[in-house]
Amino acid sequence: MTSLRRPRDAEPNITNKVYIRSTKSGKVQKIVREVYLRDDIPCSSKLCTICPLKAPRSASGAMMPFVLSEKPAGTKEYPQGHYLVPDTNALLNAMDLFEESSAFYDVVILQTVLEELRNRSLPLYNRLIGLVKSEDKRFYVFFNEFRWETHVARDPDETINDRNDRAVRRAVSWYNKHLADNKGNITVLMLSDDKGNLEKAKSENVPATTLRDYVSGLPEADRLLDMIAESQERGISRDKKFAEFLYPEYYSMSKMMTGVKNGTLHQGIFNVSPYNYLEGSIKVPAFPKALLILGRDNINRAIDGDVVVVEVLPQDQWKEPSTKIIEEEAITKNENADGEEGGDIVTESERRALQEKVKKAQGLSTEGRPQPTARVVGAIKRNWRQYVGHVDQSSVSNAAKHGRKQESVFLIPMDKKVPKIRMRTRQAGELLGKRILVTIDSWDRESRHPVGHFVRSLGELETKAAETEALLLEYDVQYRPFPKTVLDCLPRDGHDWRVPASTDDPGWKDREDLRGLLICSIDPPGCQDIDDALHARPLPNGNFEVGVHIADVSHFVKPNNAMDTEASIRGTTVYLVDKRIDMLPMLLGTDLCSLKPYVERYAFSVLWELNEAADIVSVRFTKSVIKSREAFSYEQAQLRIDDNSQQDDLTNSMRTLLMLSKKLKQKRMDAGALSLSSPEVKVQMESETSDPIDVKTKELLDTNSLVEEFMLLANISVAGKIYDAFPQTAILRRHAAPPKTNFDELANQLKVKKGFELRFDSSKALAESLDACTDPQEPFLNTLVRIMATRCMMSAEYFCAGTQAYPEFRHYGLASEIYTHFTSPIRRYADLVAHRQLAAAIDYEPMHPAVRSRSRLEAVCKNINVRHRNAQLAGRASIAYYVGQSLRGRDAVEEDGFVLRVFSNGFVVLVPRFGVEGLIRLRDLADPEPESVFDPETYTLRTSGSREVLVELFMKVRVRVRDVKDEGTGKRGAGMELVG
Amino acid sequence: MPLDTSSAYPLALLRVDGRRWNDLRRLHAAVRTQAAADGSAYLEMGNTKVMCTVTGPSEENKRRTAASTATGNTGGAGGGAGAGGAEVAVEIVVGGFSSVDRKRRGRGDKRIHELQTTLSKALAAALHTHLYPRSTIALSLHVLSQDGSLLAALLNASTLALVDAGIPMSDLPVACTAGLTSAASAADDPLVDLNAQEEQELPFLTLATLGDTDRVMVLVLETRVQAARLKDMVDLAADACKSVHKSLREVVRRRGEHMVEEGAVEKGASMAMDMDIDV
Repeated sequence: MTSLRRPRDAEPNITNKVYIRSTKSGKVQKIVREVYLRDDIPCSSKLCTICPLKAPRSASGAMMPFVLSEKPAGTKEYPQGHYLVPDTNALLNAMDLFEESSAFYDVVILQTVLEELRNRSLPLYNRLIGLVKSEDKRFYVFFNEFRWETHVARDPDETINDRNDRAVRRAVSWYNKHLADNKGNITVLMLSDDKGNLEKAKSENVPATTLRDYVSGLPEADRLLDMIAESQERGISRDKKFAEFLYPEYYSMSKMMTGVKNGTLHQGIFNVSPYNYLEGSIKVPAFPKALLILGRDNINRAIDGDVVVVEVLPQDQWKEPSTKIIEEEAITKNENADGEEGGDIVTESERRALQEKVKKAQGLSTEGRPQPTARVVGAIKRNWRQYVGHVDQSSVSNAAKHGRKQESVFLIPMDKKVPKIRMRTRQAGELLGKRILVTIDSWDRESRHPVGHFVRSLGELETKAAETEALLLEYDVQYRPFPKTVLDCLPRDGHDWRVPASTDDPGWKDREDLRGLLICSIDPPGCQDIDDALHARPLPNGNFEVGVHIADVSHFVKPNNAMDTEASIRGTTVYLVDKRIDMLPMLLGTDLCSLKPYVERYAFSVLWELNEAADIVSVRFTKSVIKSREAFSYEQAQLRIDDNSQQDDLTNSMRTLLMLSKKLKQKRMDAGALSLSSPEVKVQMESETSDPIDVKTKELLDTNSLVEEFMLLANISVAGKIYDAFPQTAILRRHAAPPKTNFDELANQLKVKKGFELRFDSSKALAESLDACTDPQEPFLNTLVRIMATRCMMSAEYFCAGTQAYPEFRHYGLASEIYTHFTSPIRRYADLVAHRQLAAAIDYEPMHPAVRSRSRLEAVCKNINVRHRNAQLAGRASIAYYVGQSLRGRDAVEEDGFVLRVFSNGFVVLVPRFGVEGLIRLRDLADPEPESVFDPETYTLRTSGSREVLVELFMKVRVRVRDVKDEGTGKRGAGMELVG
Repeated sequence: MPLDTSSAYPLALLRVDGRRWNDLRRLHAAVRTQAAADGSAYLEMGNTKVMCTVTGPSEENKRRTAASTATGNTGGAGGGAGAGGAEVAVEIVVGGFSSVDRKRRGRGDKRIHELQTTLSKALAAALHTHLYPRSTIALSLHVLSQDGSLLAALLNASTLALVDAGIPMSDLPVACTAGLTSAASAADDPLVDLNAQEEQELPFLTLATLGDTDRVMVLVLETRVQAARLKDMVDLAADACKSVHKSLREVVRRRGEHMVEEGAVEKGASMAMDMDIDV
């Protein structure tokens, strides 16, 4: 190892980079950085004979492999093959294109471009880094700013953009010359859409072309052309026409920042109401209730999920939340995608829909009091992702269905909260009736709708493959197969892996031998990834020893290897009706880690001594080896416990567990734990074709709660232990008490309609008042109220102990002071982290730095919170899809339903039998649409005229459920019709 | 925003300023920059620029007591006194203009105090202080610009100034830093001579050795680093110290040649500083 001294004659090769930046707090800083110019930065072409001699080596002597192929693909113009050098705009506009597997290989990414891209868009930068890392795409980052031939100093009066363009051209011309020196005839081609840059390139004899021209020369040009972002074409023709501005201009960043700082503006995440696309809300710290944002003007190009800055409107413009259902496709049905974007943004019909609200604002009631409204004045961060949807049939002209003419069409996203997206395509005919994936590129002031571009087609609407993939994309579930680097982390022996026979093996180090215990697992039928197993046995002193044994995943998944990284990104296993998307490769999840019966497995055990009253006498944690005696399903376990003729030790230990679990549950309930509810159903599939045949509501047995109680107990015990050991970094789970205002509406509804009083000052009070909400006539009412109460709750979240004060750790729903997730490491990443921390806490192994760094854990928590939520939503959406499918082709069934919500022009009905909610609009009731009177104070809707009905909140109604295809979203779902 | 080390390094084994893992920054130094002082030096390691002047060894008893009482007040640090040897008093002034944000550092600044103590202890160990009983060697260091490896630069500048002052020492104490690229990536190379940006991102240590021997005089590690990787870092830093040593000796030698040309010393006269320069 030698360190290199810079030779004195190398001094001309040092230059300083000076730039000025402003910090978040508005300070302006002048930064001076040294830049050492060198001549040993390789071109990375396999053809090159010069560079390998000088190529750098790492401290361990390894050389970076050369990336660019010696025989790159060519086009007509460059038959000898070419390397591509995109500029920043090309990447900004068409990253999807570069990710395409049919073209775009051998690409040189310049450092100038990479840095600029990072400044412009971090997500795109990350995608690009992903491309560079994937070996098959052959992307190479060339650090042109550090090579003395290609370094470019900024001239006085030169803009930074011009300098960067010049740097790109200089690098491209160097590359061409360098390859020519190597006797190669490969062209290095600059891809740019900047007219000025292209002209200069031409005059300097640098090979360059526009992205569009380049793509046109490729096979499959039509499909690929669609993937270039819309804004790029506009970039060229921008000055041509003076567009009229439809939306108010956004404030400048500094104006927004100052405003937020001194409290005149507010920052928050923009949410759209699922029932009304023109109504959004935003929760800001300054107000207890969310601010309303009404109408296109005020929403001002914000899309659900964006981080925006809003300004509160004067009090005379305050309104009450809408009591009307407004659906985008119903109102803007006839818009022409190609049409001129002139005129007012608020169309006549939209205005009429909004008028209603202004009228309403006069009639005051406790509930209907006008709420503060706000308007969006700027976006801090767009949270645009890729959206799944389908092309609006009516926006496609007849000619385009056959021809190859490019035209604008509307894409209607599956997510109703996202406005329709305008995109230009040459393949409109082919895309009709398909599920397609699009990206939003921009939303300019002069465009009524956001503008996007096509990414790829998932397949025919309503085919299982397309719909499942759509669902996974929509909830951002990583469903691709595990890459090779991950599979390489698996044990070599594969399925033949066994717990080592000899207890001297390093795997046995510090493990307790619990193979002699009568351990069994209880799971849903057909469960393959068995996370947990239990045992209980009496102790001589009359107490019980109870053990919860959790699959020892952390033994197989070591911190910071590829598998761990992948799992931390996936965050959780996602369960769909017909599919499971694993967090860990199958081999681990369903075999090596899974606590299968009759075989020895590594486990992480929590062992308590409990007395007769189920109080904890002592607890200890240990890594162990266990051998499960049996894997029961809930039903089997229940049957065996109930069967008095079975008197073997295993059954008796289960009875002990059941006895203790009931006491534990009682204690928890006494402490104020809530039993909440969500409508859960299970789809039964035909075993051969896996077509759904029936829908059943889930049944809960005693054994379900047996397992649940002990898992809760284990989680709580572990939470205490890791918090003791690592008060800053322990990974915990909290459930914040819901703000009181969340319950205002429900409490009022219950009071007005049913005369119940809902108290919500503590979880115990809430639990008790929920228990009191019963109607002897209608047993389901209590469940209904619980379902509605659940929706008022905050969602539980993972966090790092150091980020919150101890009182904030509380889990509201479980009424526990401290809580974590420990019991399902096969399917949740948080549990895996907890395992590692617990292992360190009991001195089993030293803590890996990754599990110790607080900032890293915070990032992990943030990710798994999102993943966890998305997994739940995806699971529910999958059930909804299959419920729709199971109704398909069948006669309409009549079922009981309950009114969940009443609007002035419709109402929402929940059908417990299928666990689905459906919207019934007035215009669905009869034709012509009946007259109606809506009383928001008593939550009643009375119709007259063509059909007379009275609809009240919580009312039991008879509905006919049949399957309908929602023209708007293209989803098949349960449609409802009021009977009687 | 330019790239950071952890994202750029794995891509092409290049650091944020274009150096390789084992490249030192440009080291520029000059001796006897202020003729009025007993000894003085100016040193740049990249954009870290420091100046040092030495006063003494002076034997005034009054001043010494004043200095040692002032030690408490002014934040100057003394070492090596007692046992009849000279005291090495170090005072560091960090210019308010030296970093990106103009920051006024008070005399009582803990970090400066720590630097002073570290330096004075290290220097006292290298100097033959026993030759100057009851005296004080006062070093005054000024930081003009900061860009990482501050302690190393201060120590190297002190060494040169002490040589200039003609104070006997067993060898030149030299220092350098070494860091470690993020352990998460596959290429976790040790890096040498960190700049300010790298110091913020990466774990690093400052190591000082006596001349080009492996005798460690200072080892400061304030960040967390995996114990297993420490050896690599120390090895690399020790190695870098040898390079620094070479540079400093060259500076000293050129200064000596210059003096001979000027006729300030006769060639071959046994001046202490000229004694063993044979490069």
